This record gives sequence, C-alpha cells and structure tokens, in this order.
Amino acid sequence: MTVSTVGPAAATTPAAKQAAGPRQAWRRLRHQPLTLAAILTVALIVVIAVFAPVLAPYAPDDTDFSNVLSGPTAAHPLGTDDLGHDVLSQLIFAARTALLVAGGSVLVAMLIGVPFGLILGYKGGWYDRLGSRVMDLADAFPGIMIGFVVIAILGRGVWILIFAIGLIFSMNFGRMVRAITLAERKKLYVESAHVSGLRNRQIIFGQVLPNLAGPLAVQAAVFLGNAIKVEAALSFLALGLPDDQPSWGGMLRTAAEHQVDHPLMALPPGIAIVVTVLAFNLLGDGINDALSGARSTRKARKASRKAARLAASTLAEVEQARLDAEAREQVPSTRDDAPVPVASSVATREALVTTAAHPEPVLSVRGVSIVADRPDGEVVPLVSDVSLTVGRGEVLGLLGESGSGKSMLAKSILGLLPPGVRVDSGSVTLAGDELVGRDERGMRAIRGKKLGVVFQNPQANLSPVHTVGHQLVDPLRVHHGMSKAAARDRAAELLDMVGVKDAAGRLSQYPYQFSGGMAQRVAIAIALAGEPDVLILDEATSALDVTTQSQVLDLVLDLRESLGMAVVNITHDLGVAAESCDRVAILYHGELLEVNDVFSLFENPHHPYTAALLAAHPTADREVDRLPTLADFVTADGEWIVR
Amino acid sequence: MDREVNPGMSPDRTDSRPLLDVRDLDVAYEVSGSSWRRTTTTVVKGVSFHIDAGETYGLVGESGSGKSTTGRAILRLAEVAGGTIEFDGTDLATLGERTPLSYRRDVQAVYQDPAGSLNPRHHVGRAVTDALKRHGTGDRAERQDRAREAFAQVGLTDAHLSRFPSEMSGGQLQRVAIARALVLEPRLVICDEAVSALDLSTQSQIINLLMDLQQASGVSYLFITHDLGVVRHMAHRLGVLRKGELIEQGDTSAVFADPQHEYTRSLLAASPSSHPEGREQRRADRLARRRGAAQASEGAGGTAASASPTAPAAAASSPARPATADMRQAGPTRPMVARPEGRA
Repeated sequence: MTVSTVGPAAATTPAAKQAAGPRQAWRRLRHQPLTLAAILTVALIVVIAVFAPVLAPYAPDDTDFSNVLSGPTAAHPLGTDDLGHDVLSQLIFAARTALLVAGGSVLVAMLIGVPFGLILGYKGGWYDRLGSRVMDLADAFPGIMIGFVVIAILGRGVWILIFAIGLIFSMNFGRMVRAITLAERKKLYVESAHVSGLRNRQIIFGQVLPNLAGPLAVQAAVFLGNAIKVEAALSFLALGLPDDQPSWGGMLRTAAEHQVDHPLMALPPGIAIVVTVLAFNLLGDGINDALSGARSTRKARKASRKAARLAASTLAEVEQARLDAEAREQVPSTRDDAPVPVASSVATREALVTTAAHPEPVLSVRGVSIVADRPDGEVVPLVSDVSLTVGRGEVLGLLGESGSGKSMLAKSILGLLPPGVRVDSGSVTLAGDELVGRDERGMRAIRGKKLGVVFQNPQANLSPVHTVGHQLVDPLRVHHGMSKAAARDRAAELLDMVGVKDAAGRLSQYPYQFSGGMAQRVAIAIALAGEPDVLILDEATSALDVTTQSQVLDLVLDLRESLGMAVVNITHDLGVAAESCDRVAILYHGELLEVNDVFSLFENPHHPYTAALLAAHPTADREVDRLPTLADFVTADGEWIVR
Repeated sequence: MDREVNPGMSPDRTDSRPLLDVRDLDVAYEVSGSSWRRTTTTVVKGVSFHIDAGETYGLVGESGSGKSTTGRAILRLAEVAGGTIEFDGTDLATLGERTPLSYRRDVQAVYQDPAGSLNPRHHVGRAVTDALKRHGTGDRAERQDRAREAFAQVGLTDAHLSRFPSEMSGGQLQRVAIARALVLEPRLVICDEAVSALDLSTQSQIINLLMDLQQASGVSYLFITHDLGVVRHMAHRLGVLRKGELIEQGDTSAVFADPQHEYTRSLLAASPSSHPEGREQRRADRLARRRGAAQASEGAGGTAASASPTAPAAAASSPARPATADMRQAGPTRPMVARPEGRA
C-alpha cells in the first residue's frame, strides 16, 4: 500500500534562493541611507573630477591679476587667491588630484602590503617573525615621517607623492592580510588544496586571496579617505605636490597665509576634504555591513532562511538518494516531476501515531505549529500540528535528522524561539500551566525552575568567566531564595549527585578546568538546581565520546529514577534513543510521523521513514552487506512504501 | 595474523608488499613556548599497521587518541618524529621537503566537514578542475569533461558544477569532496570522519558510494572514525587507538566478535546498540564495569579520590575516563565481557 503525498517543496531548491546575490545586496543597501549618501557623494566627486575642464569656469592656471584675493563676485563665485586663480576652478581641478593621489597610493599600498601579508601569514615561521618585526618597526615611525623621508630623497611630484603615501599605508594592509591569512591557512579547504598537490603560489593567490576580497574592499575605502587627508597635510606643508598643481592641501596653505585678512578662503578646500573623507569612510562602513549581512537588524530573516534551507537540504538528499538508486539500477529517469514525500495524509498519520498513554502527563504539546515569518511576508512552516505528551518519570525521545524541526519544537516549549519564528497555533501545558503566549518574564519563572535544559556543546552551556559554583548558586538563590551558605551546600550536593568527585572543592573552578563529559555533568547539575518537572536534553550527548556519552546517559536514567522527573531527549542518534528512551517520537520535515513505545518502534516501525532510518543505521552489533537508503522506501512516484 | 589480503580485492598487486606500511610511527606536536624554544608533546606513539591494495582499514578511537594525526602524517601534513611510513615500497622520509606530485596524486583525503574543505568563494567544480590542472591533465575543455564525469560518478549532475558551497547540502558537498579525491585516480584515500557529520539517511548513501567506488577502482581507504557502527560496516581490518597507542588490531569481524583488549571491550559496551532489547542488562554491566574500575583504582593507590583541585588538568581528565584509564591495569583477566546483542 502506498500513502498519498503532497510535495510542493521540491521546487524550492537552494540554488533558486541564492541566485539573487546582487539584488539582495541592493535591498540591503536601501536600508542603509548613510551608505547610499556616501556612494552618491563619491560618484559626484568622480564626475566632477572627470568633467573638470567642462565644469570649471576657468582653466586651473588662468590668472586674473586685476582681481587678486577678491571675495565672492559674479565672475568668481568663490573668489580668487593671491595669484588671481579662480578658487572654484581650483577646487574642481583639485578633485582630480585628490582622487588620483588617493587611488594611486591605495593601489601602491595594496601591491606592496597584500603579497607581503599573504606570504607572512601563509609561510609563518621565520618569514613571519622577521616580517612582523619589520611591520612593528614601520609602525613605530609616524607615517608622515616616512613620507618626509621619501620626498626628501626623491623630491616633489605626483608620482613620488603617490609612492610615499602608498608606502605609509602598505603596512596597514600587510598587517590585516597577514591576520586573515593566518586564520584562513588553518581551514580545511587550504589543506585540501595541499592534498590535491597545488603549489604554495597557487594556494596563496588562487585559494586564499579571493577570501580576502571583502575585508580588502573595506580597508581600501577607508584608506582612500586617509590618503586624501595625508595628501592635504603634505601639500599644506609644501612637501606634497608642486605648487602649480591644484590641490586642496595647497589651497589650504594659501588660505593660511591670508587667514587674517581673508578668513573665509579656508572654507571651500576644508569642506571639500571633510566631505570626501567622510564619504569614503561611510562607504567603508557600508561595505562592511553589507558583507557581514547586517546582523542585528536582519537576524530574523537569517533564522527563517536557515530553517528553510535546512528543510530544503533534507529534501535534496531524498532526491539524491533516488538519483543514486536510478543510476545504480539503470532505471529510466522519471524523477523530474516526481514529488518528494513530505507528509502522509492526516488520516493515515493518526493511524500511525499510537499514543501509549503514560500515567499523569506532566508536559503536553497539543497541535503545535511553528512558523517563520520572512520579511517579504511569506510564512514558512517549520513544525506542523505536533501533539505529544510526556509522563512523570518518563523519557521521551524526539528523533529526527537536521531540518526535522526537533530543536524548534524544544525551543518553543522553552519559549526560546529565535526572532521571526513563532508558535502559530496549538498549546503547550506544563503541569497544567499554559506556556504558549507567556511573555518573557512569565517564561523566566518557568525556565530553570520547572523546565531544565542542557544543550549540545558542554563548554558553551557554561559561562567561561564565572566559577562553576557561582553558576550553580545563582539559580538556587533566584528560584529558591536560599542564603548564600545554604546555596553553596546545595550546589556541592548537586555536583556530587551528578557524579563530580570532590564536589565542594571543584565549586571554585572554572568550566575550562572540566573535561567535556564533566562539563556536561555540571550543566545537568545546573539544570537540576531548580528541581524541574521536565529536563530537556537538546543533543546533550552528541558531542561526547561514546564512553562519556554512556556515562552521561546512565546518569540521566539514574536521576530520572531517583527524582521521578520527566525527560525529553532530543537526538539524531538512533542508538541513544534505543538505550535511553521509553517512548520515541519521529519527526521528519516538521511533521510528527510516529510516536511509539521504544521496543515496538525498533521492532515494528509503523512509518516507512522510521523503517528507512533503522535500516540505514550502521551499528556495531550487526553486519549487513549494503545499507538500505531512503530511496529504498520510496516508490518511483515519490510516495512512501508502507509494508 | 592480519596479513592476508582480502579475497578478490587486490587485482594485480599480488606481491606481498602492502600499499601502505606504517612502522613504529611517532608524531609530536609543538605545544607552546616562545619563538625560540620548542616544547613538544607526542600524540602518536609507536603505531604500526599496513593497508593492502583495495582494502579498507579502520582506525577507531575517541577524541585525542591521535587517529586524525596519524592520517595527517601519512598525508605529510604533520611531521613524523619517529618510525617510517612506506607507500608502495618508498619510504616517505626519502622524498625530501617537497612532496612529489605523484604522491599527491596517489594519496587523497576526504574530511569530516565538507563545507570547510571547499573554498567558499569558488564554484565547487573548480575544486576538481584545479586539481586536474595541477596534475597536467589536458586543456580546459578536457578538464571540464573529466570534472563532469567525476560528478556523474558520485551522483551529481552538470548543474552542480557551477554552484557555490553555500548552495549545496552537506551530503552533496561530501560528494564533491569525494569527486575531487577520486578524479586523480588515487590508490589510497584518507577518510577522516568522512561520514560523521552527515544525517543518517545521507550517511548511508555516502557509505554505499564509497564502497561502490572501491569495488570499481580498487582504491584503498584509511577510514578514521569514532563511530564503531560505521567502521564495522566498512572496514576489512581495523585498529583501535587509545592515547596515541594502537592497542589492538585485526580483522573487523574478529575484533568485534572477540575483542582482546579491555579498552576495546569497554568501547563496545559504551557504544549505543541498535535495538533497545537487553538495555537494562547492558546498563547494569556498564555500572559493574565502572565500579570495578573504581575499586581497582582505589586499590592502586586511590588516584581518582586524591585528584586535587590544585591540579586542574589532571583533575579534569582523570574522572572523565576513570574506567578506561584503570581497566588496562586490570587486564583482560576480568571476566565481565559485555558482548553486544547479536542481532542479524
């Protein structure tokens, strides 16, 4: 018999979602008015520089000796300088100089700094030790001094100025590139390139350099602004450009000579410098924000996108499995429009879910649906209509692969859903109290006291800057109003209960002084501090070695027996479920496919997906010739095969 | 005892020489210290094993056992401090500083994190074509053809060639990594936790793919993993590493049926079973095992009890694995062998 399916999700391949790169960048930009203004300003300056001869009323070297040092007049809107040059024209032509010097010097700085930093970062060892000292030395001199020295040796001129400023900035680029390269070098893709036999040169410039593009763009934008400042400073000191070359710095110098009689002369070049430098700096910030995906404001969108991608990737794997099966069996391809099994029909699902009623449900989840709200108004379902109960003293397993919604379900119980993700309908009751719809304060009273939780990464569970004792004592004082001394005694008791030896002595230690398994025990002790009705383990043993994992699981089972609390054990590991759970719920793509007693589930799985998982699980206690895959449990039409 | 070649697996290389022969391998890492003084710690100690052509050798152990380091030494990414590694009769120590291109062709790697092992800024197809280019394969068009073939071999389509890593699922990325490794027609692939990060349904596909490719090409695998289930399914022979030492090795079925070393037994007992049947007994056995170990350690001077807070490193590590640390002293004479359920 086959179960009818609906498969709209097959159309949303990850590729379709990622294709709109530039469009997304534009959409982000629209939310950054400052960056937009900076781009427009820079564009305006570039246009002015390019079309200077057309825009300027006079040539840069036109002199009007009859009107020396005039204020604004009809013929000279910004007045003239001491040689009778038109200030407006000078200002316009000086924009050319500014951009040429800025662009040229940043290019020089990158040409020197980037390869230097790449080699230091990649080669390490003596290259790095010597090269880093050179950079330190360069840092020890004020940049402007280096400029003085170069100009003193080589003389004044546009190209010499560009070289001098480039040299000043090259070490900044070198330092940044070295730091990023050091981080990239350790990444697996570099190691993989090594294993492929690629030469160092190919790895440095072909593999590492493209990953530097973003930070380099930011740095370049900021230094374009800085270069304009340095150029102005040097020209102001009559060290920069020759006097006949119009420059903002040179104009400032003239203005300084006449600041008593003509105080307003400094304004036009001053404003030009400030506006240009500001524009480049804002542009740098904008690029930085665009690259980092503007974290703070669009966290929600990211969360929902991630959830959608996870879901899509599970589907992609099913599709892949079918592809493989076809390739192997030389079956003519019928997969193009074949739907992928997403959900069984409601009627059948109810038949599959045998809710062995456990006495006294302490936690019940009824018809919970969780959705993510995309900013464009689309609502992405993450968990659909899940109903579960957990009895007192029962261990319920929530089993699923990535994208199944198991963690979202746990987070909805805890009231810890990420922004943009919400419970759309349904109810969660803990010992009779409704949890859905509670505000943060209401949930805080529940979490820690009635609900304990332990996450996957033991070290991330604990605060690295506080002692273990501090972290245990805090919840005891908050939830039970204990005195400091009493809380400390209780903390030692709790640590002892979870099997930490010399508990009292270890209270004053920091998490890094605990091994992974011990840290996870501490996290469990903290979760138990409030004497919760339900302990939620979110992949709590997945990161541990098998020996440690079995110890922690045994501990949880001991505690369940001695304290009578209920446990929700979220895992992707069938073995963990087999060893530790009384009942197991199978989640797939946000749907609850089956809930059953653990023995029945492993002996006689109802849903084909469960059967597929069981069959695909390679274990230490049996041998098979070939692992069946999901594809073996799906018909050519993309429907589950129910046996 | 473990020198026989797997039947039907080694086509024409019937000489007794193994493809890879590792003898008394020591690997040491520089831990800390200033630029001028080095402090090293030995993470692999006196490891010896060999891999025949067409064979899968499993290297199992818990975190910190030195299994990945052993793989890196074979890939010449970690420096060998002692012992020899011979590949096809050539001692790697004689190769000099620069690794010859032929070795880089013959020995490839597939890592745990497929997304990390591909350049995020390149189309995934480039991982394959770059490798081909380096090894002097034809012109651009020919390389593109070879990449297409390689992708087809691992169950990907042409459309996948021009995707970025961020646009593919974990299983698909692992296929790309396998395509990159196999396109050079290597003789040995180091699979370092190559299926550990994958979902179960994906994992079984990748395992099947690796085994199919081995059948077709006769490639050998060094399969490094912490997952006993996977190693039992894939490896012809296996070695168990513990704190840098190879404590047991042999045919996979023999080791699983009759583990000789107490540590192997405790690993098997701790490894979750595929069925809940008999779990109460298993739990009781584990408890007895731990109790026995604790008593043994107290008898041996009470090291666990005296773990003082002033020695954080020792205190942090010793209670975590008291069972394993002390059971070795107890030796295989202890009668409590918890055999996993024998379900077919």
